[in-house]
Amino acid sequence: MKQRTRSVLITCVFAAALAGVLALAGCSSSSNQNDNSTNTNDAVSSEPAVQLQVFAANSLEKALPEVQALYTQQHPNVTFADTQFQASGTLTSKLKSGASADLLITASSSSMDTAVSDGTVDQTTRTDMFNNDLVICTSSTDDVTITSLADLATDKVTSIAIGDPNTVPAGSYAVQALQSAGLCTSTTDSSGKISVTWDASIADKINAGADSVGTVASYVQSGTCQVGFVYTSDIFRYDGIQVAYTTAADSHKTIKYPGAVCTTATNAAQAADFMDFCLTDPDAAAIFQKYGFELA
Amino acid sequence: MLPGIRSAFFEGGFRLKPFRTCRTGRPRTTDGRRPPSACTVPAHSTSQHVHVDGLPRAGRIVCSLVLIACLAMPLSAFADDTTTADASSTANAADGITATTADTATVDVSDNLDSAIEQNASFGISDFTRLNKGTNKTYDDTYYGYRYAMVGVDAFAVIVANGYAVVYVPPATLDELGISLSDSATQQTLIDTLVGIDSAAAHGGQTLADLDPTYYFTSSPSYVVGDYTYAFNVEVEEGYYYATVTLAGSDDGSGGGLYAESGNLTTASGTTIATKATGIGALQEFFSTLDWRPLWVSLRTTGVAIVFVFILGLLAAWATIKVNSRLKDILDTVFTIPMVLPPTVCGFLLLLLFGNSTGVGRWLIAHGINLVFTWPAAVIACTVVAFPLMYRTTRGAFESLDETMLDAARTLGWSEGKVFTRLMLPMAWPSIAAGTVLAFARAMGEFGATLFFAGNYAGVTQTIPIAIYFDWMGGQTDAAIFWVVVVILISFLVILFINIYSSHTQRYRMGGNVESDR
Repeated sequence: MKQRTRSVLITCVFAAALAGVLALAGCSSSSNQNDNSTNTNDAVSSEPAVQLQVFAANSLEKALPEVQALYTQQHPNVTFADTQFQASGTLTSKLKSGASADLLITASSSSMDTAVSDGTVDQTTRTDMFNNDLVICTSSTDDVTITSLADLATDKVTSIAIGDPNTVPAGSYAVQALQSAGLCTSTTDSSGKISVTWDASIADKINAGADSVGTVASYVQSGTCQVGFVYTSDIFRYDGIQVAYTTAADSHKTIKYPGAVCTTATNAAQAADFMDFCLTDPDAAAIFQKYGFELA
Repeated sequence: MLPGIRSAFFEGGFRLKPFRTCRTGRPRTTDGRRPPSACTVPAHSTSQHVHVDGLPRAGRIVCSLVLIACLAMPLSAFADDTTTADASSTANAADGITATTADTATVDVSDNLDSAIEQNASFGISDFTRLNKGTNKTYDDTYYGYRYAMVGVDAFAVIVANGYAVVYVPPATLDELGISLSDSATQQTLIDTLVGIDSAAAHGGQTLADLDPTYYFTSSPSYVVGDYTYAFNVEVEEGYYYATVTLAGSDDGSGGGLYAESGNLTTASGTTIATKATGIGALQEFFSTLDWRPLWVSLRTTGVAIVFVFILGLLAAWATIKVNSRLKDILDTVFTIPMVLPPTVCGFLLLLLFGNSTGVGRWLIAHGINLVFTWPAAVIACTVVAFPLMYRTTRGAFESLDETMLDAARTLGWSEGKVFTRLMLPMAWPSIAAGTVLAFARAMGEFGATLFFAGNYAGVTQTIPIAIYFDWMGGQTDAAIFWVVVVILISFLVILFINIYSSHTQRYRMGGNVESDR
């Protein structure tokens, strides 16, 4: 009898807890569903409130949110859903597999080409937004001097991190740079998959599996790898890493960040306006300059 | 990387369970698997009770110590407050105005890198900004050179180039501060202050201290060094001023500037230096800036998932013990397989099922069910991955019930439903509760399938495990460590709950026997 009372009691407690959680979920899930949610701003603007979903190259993770905050300040009717900062190749795959977004900014022309051929972006809106440089970074406490790419093959460098060349544009630029220095050969098959054969002098130092350029920076920052190929702009968004060598601009394809409005965009006009704002607003320009992005 | 984090942090709870069951003396079954209900079924040997109670207590103390150590970690991250930078600079004499004396000075730099002042100097720097890149972009089809934004019309600007740096201070500012750019003491103060704040603001980029350039000082709006012309206070757009670099006959002046800095020179009393918060203050700052959404998303997602897991797990366990043995084997395999499969496989299958890359997915989307990268997707992923734990624990408990008792109830005319709700559920309840808690912990720790199927949307699908990975990847190590501690705490409480609850149940059930044994 006593046991049964206990069981009933416990069941009641559980049921109450679950009900509470459900209520909590019910209250908040509605406000958290992205897209089309009508955010009630006390804006005097008569324009309808919209929420833009931006897919942007991982390297923009610190700069773009500041620009977005500035944009929301000036245009209270426009807010931003959680912007996805991932490797450009991952973003194009996500768009292809059904994720919805309003604006795509990639870190290479080739990943934008992929999005165009997938039909996920509107090619007529495509614009080159930023330029960047490819650098070799080391931990701030590491005083190794690198004067050329050939130094990577010497004993003073023990491990090299690069992004997965198939999804991370910084990784494919790094492969191009290493190839120009004769440290690897790469082939691209008909489906666009890049296969790299590393030169014996660096083969056992290379870690080419990072899933974004930020992961490369984190590997170097945490000491998992000694050096890594990142963009100049990444130096300024991570603590504890420094530029050891800036690769020559002609050792790899020009690093351009194209932006384009997505075909699935629910707010295409506002997305195009925001892209234009990034390119023309002087305050936005100052933010991008601070983080090392050169407006194209 | 990903499976590493997941297994290290989130499966700990599950792995500890067999460890606990060893102590209770529950024998292994023939397939080597511990019966899932082991925690809560009465131990066969009552004499082991002393050990059962003694050991976990010591273990709990050790765990508590570890947790306290973990909690202290974010504090240590704030410990290194370096608000002063030693700035020593030498500048070589050359043409133009250059600083010639070497001086070691102490410069106080504001924590927000906004301002800096040299000790005992009459002026300092405020509103500082470092621009790591300029732009060749035209404005209204007019080319102004490679331009860097200045912070205002009265701002100073420094353009750092290869081997030299051009320092511009507007005449109005010089008059206001009562200083002269040709005065070598003023030059030295300016250089020291600049080097100090530049070192702090470089953030891994090039620094004046390392480049050790020749400094050219000017208060005229245009200054020529070699082939490059430097212009300052160029109003490109109304209210926006730029420092520009032009190369005669070219539309690319970027070769004449590595980076630029700008700010306002202010009097010593007008320069406020913000110091870094330490101790409690730093902790408060950390918690006030912390994004708490991963916790709510985790609780919400897991809370809803566990309802489905609970109901589905009970029904599946009940259904499985009812059917004949061959079908039972197949059903059991189907229900258990998500536990064995890598979560990425579950996630990938879900993505294929609901995404628009397969016919099924396209059909679902056409009928308004578009779940990919939404919150319901996170719930589904959690449910699929946590379900087997609930199912197996419950099934084990049902199977260990005394069949004759159930039959006795049936002879008394009880329906199967009544047998289930009034007899099986209450008798197996301790195991069901333990299974629910385990499933909850597993759902809370879900990473792979959620990331695959629901993505990483802060405030929508970004659960704590996903936040840990992306915080770390985004350089927010402190936040990552904090969430790791939270997860360890939750796992700790879950296991503690199971241990206390099961030993409590055991003692309760065996109460009479234990007394008589003693």
